[in-house]
Amino acid sequence: MSTEAMLASELRDTSHGSGQSGHVVRLGSARGNWFRRVGWRHVVGVIALFFAIFPILFVVSAAFNPQGTLSSSTLIPRDASFANFDTLFSETSFWRWFANSLLISLLSAALSLFISAAAAYAFSRYRFRGRRAGMLFILLVQMFPQFLAIVAIYLIFVEISELYPAIGFNTPWSLILLFLGGALGVNTWLMKGFFDTIPKDLDESAKVDGATHAQIYFGIILPLVTPILAITGLLSFISTMSEFIISSVFLTEDSAKTAAVGLYGLISAQRNANFGVFAAGALIVAIPIVVLFQFLQRYIVGGITAGAVKG
Amino acid sequence: MATVTLDKVNKQYENGYHAVHDLDLEIADGEFLVLVGPSGCGKSTALRMVAGLEDISTGVMKIGDRVVNTLSPRERDIAMVFQSYALYPHMTVAENIGYGLKIRRMDKTEIRRRVERAAEMLELGPMLDRKPKQLSGGQRQRVAMGRAIVREPQVFLMDEPLSNLDAKLRVQMRAEIGQIQHDLNVTTLYVTHDQIEAMTMGDRVAVIKSGILQQVGAPQYLYDNPANLFVAGFIGSPPMNMGMGRIIRHGEGLGLRFGSRTLALTGSVLTDHPSLGQWVDRPVAVGIRSEDMEDAGVLREAAAPDSTLVATVGLTEALGSEIVVHFDLDVPPVENEETRALAEDSGADDTGLRSNGTRFVASFAPRSRVRIGDQIEVVVDVARLHFFDPDSGLTLKG
Ligand SMILES: Nc1ncnc2c1ncn2[C@@H]1O[C@H](COP(=O)(O)OP(=O)(O)OP(=O)(O)O)[C@@H](O)[C@H]1O
Ligand SMILES: [Mg+2]
Repeated sequence: MSTEAMLASELRDTSHGSGQSGHVVRLGSARGNWFRRVGWRHVVGVIALFFAIFPILFVVSAAFNPQGTLSSSTLIPRDASFANFDTLFSETSFWRWFANSLLISLLSAALSLFISAAAAYAFSRYRFRGRRAGMLFILLVQMFPQFLAIVAIYLIFVEISELYPAIGFNTPWSLILLFLGGALGVNTWLMKGFFDTIPKDLDESAKVDGATHAQIYFGIILPLVTPILAITGLLSFISTMSEFIISSVFLTEDSAKTAAVGLYGLISAQRNANFGVFAAGALIVAIPIVVLFQFLQRYIVGGITAGAVKG
Repeated sequence: MATVTLDKVNKQYENGYHAVHDLDLEIADGEFLVLVGPSGCGKSTALRMVAGLEDISTGVMKIGDRVVNTLSPRERDIAMVFQSYALYPHMTVAENIGYGLKIRRMDKTEIRRRVERAAEMLELGPMLDRKPKQLSGGQRQRVAMGRAIVREPQVFLMDEPLSNLDAKLRVQMRAEIGQIQHDLNVTTLYVTHDQIEAMTMGDRVAVIKSGILQQVGAPQYLYDNPANLFVAGFIGSPPMNMGMGRIIRHGEGLGLRFGSRTLALTGSVLTDHPSLGQWVDRPVAVGIRSEDMEDAGVLREAAAPDSTLVATVGLTEALGSEIVVHFDLDVPPVENEETRALAEDSGADDTGLRSNGTRFVASFAPRSRVRIGDQIEVVVDVARLHFFDPDSGLTLKG
């Protein structure tokens, strides 16, 4: 067999489907096939990559450009330096903001995950009066963005701040409390759909084995829904990390600000001037999100329930 | 070990559907009782009530001496094997089998000991560290069995545990489950819609239809003495042949007018069924098992004309040990609610109604040389005929 023919047969075998058809394909058409079946995906991928990487490059470049302007930037700054980072760390409370952001995002993601998973389990497994109405209600409430209610929320928290300053304005707890309710609806629906795919036989089998409700929930069901837990946790972490409108209303003291609010303060004060510093801060804020993504990636792969019942 | 007693147990679902009616059942200590019936007849419902997975609407359920109506599954000390196996996908085989013990906070070494013993019994030893999805269907089935065995419960409950296996494996697992149950001597309630499983595995078989218990008894007893048309047609393979006949006076005694022929009801028939006298000139439903018919050609002496039926062979299946012969008899089919339920269950096209008669299946001795299209004389063992009231479907008593 010539090398060309071998290559052709190899291509045939690796590309889906054509291997089964069994007839010999000439090299030229095998190449054409390869592009039609696999190659075009690379092209799409490269375009998407280019599209996604451009703003990142832009921010990185701005962060290392001591000029601090956006307009003069060339892609690779002529005199790259850490000047913007120095300014950020020495002249602003950036680390404070960053810590606030992390605290609020982590806590509200974790707590809302816990609450909505429990709610989803109940909606998925139990039949009780008001179940349908409850689900519809959550969905309805969810249809309006939270900041529509900002006036009402503001008024409520004015009262709360007076009575219980510890969870009032300018504390991370006020925001956590608010965000907990915020994503509950979507998360509950998402998770309920996922819980529904886990056979009820598993619950019943565990029940017969002698497990209590809590043991079934934590020991059998939760481990099987890790993909959806990872996704909803990640999504709510990201959205809280970058939340701006409500945070800016709630947090006015410099030391209480989140990174998003604090960084905005840098560029809103003297237009354009501090963009370098802003970009530097934005880069750092992106780090935990990227790390979390990498860490959770392997959980965001479905199919873990395969083999539960007959296959 | 314990007995299981159901006393007038009813189940009515929330939507009003009455799935189980006044079920009376007593499973003796160590007995293997099979609950069999067509799809949707309430078998699983009954089993799940014993397990505690379904509320009991009315009636009393006892395990041993304890009334368990309101006890949760964990308090009933039972183990259940599901049709889907319901293995925990994120646990290894060993963890799956030991889960029920771990939940009960049993000592770790004791858990390991029991798991290993069960694994050995089920030939799962090398697979203890695998996840369920790395197992074949038969192996998963064994894990599900293992999970029940290690618990050493009072009662085993099994809901069609073999229905996901291919035919060959099913035969093998049938024997294995029977063996294990026998060795452990645990009271077992086994649900299936497959009457062969019921016949081969059960110490006793309970036949249920539309939520109503039809008959309970040893497999052979049900086969020989079905209480009604439904049990007669459901138990046995091939199913009992049935057709409408008429009791007439014949010579000194009685005869059965069956299509164009008359069978003399001689000797023991009348002593076994003394009440037949009251049925003279009335239609009766007649049942004949396939093995109670024989090709007249293989008999030594010629058969009397009033002990045979005539038919034209429609199909033959040579099995070596016997020849299964299908033919149409010129008798009307038995049509009532029970035979309709049977036809529905077997998913039968209207084979019974096709052409101008009723399809019968007989198994002849292999010496028989009948061919498709042959006109044959079929000798009937009249002593083994079954007679039913065509309206109520009940066997003629006395
Ligand atoms: N939760 C429920 N609510 C209402 N009706 C139900 C419910 N579960 C089952 N049924 C009905 O009860 C009847 C008996 O159901 P069951 O599951 O016991 O049947 P089965 O004998 O096990 O059948 P199969 O052999 O198909 O498993 C069926 O007609 C079914 O439609
Ligand atoms: Mg069932």
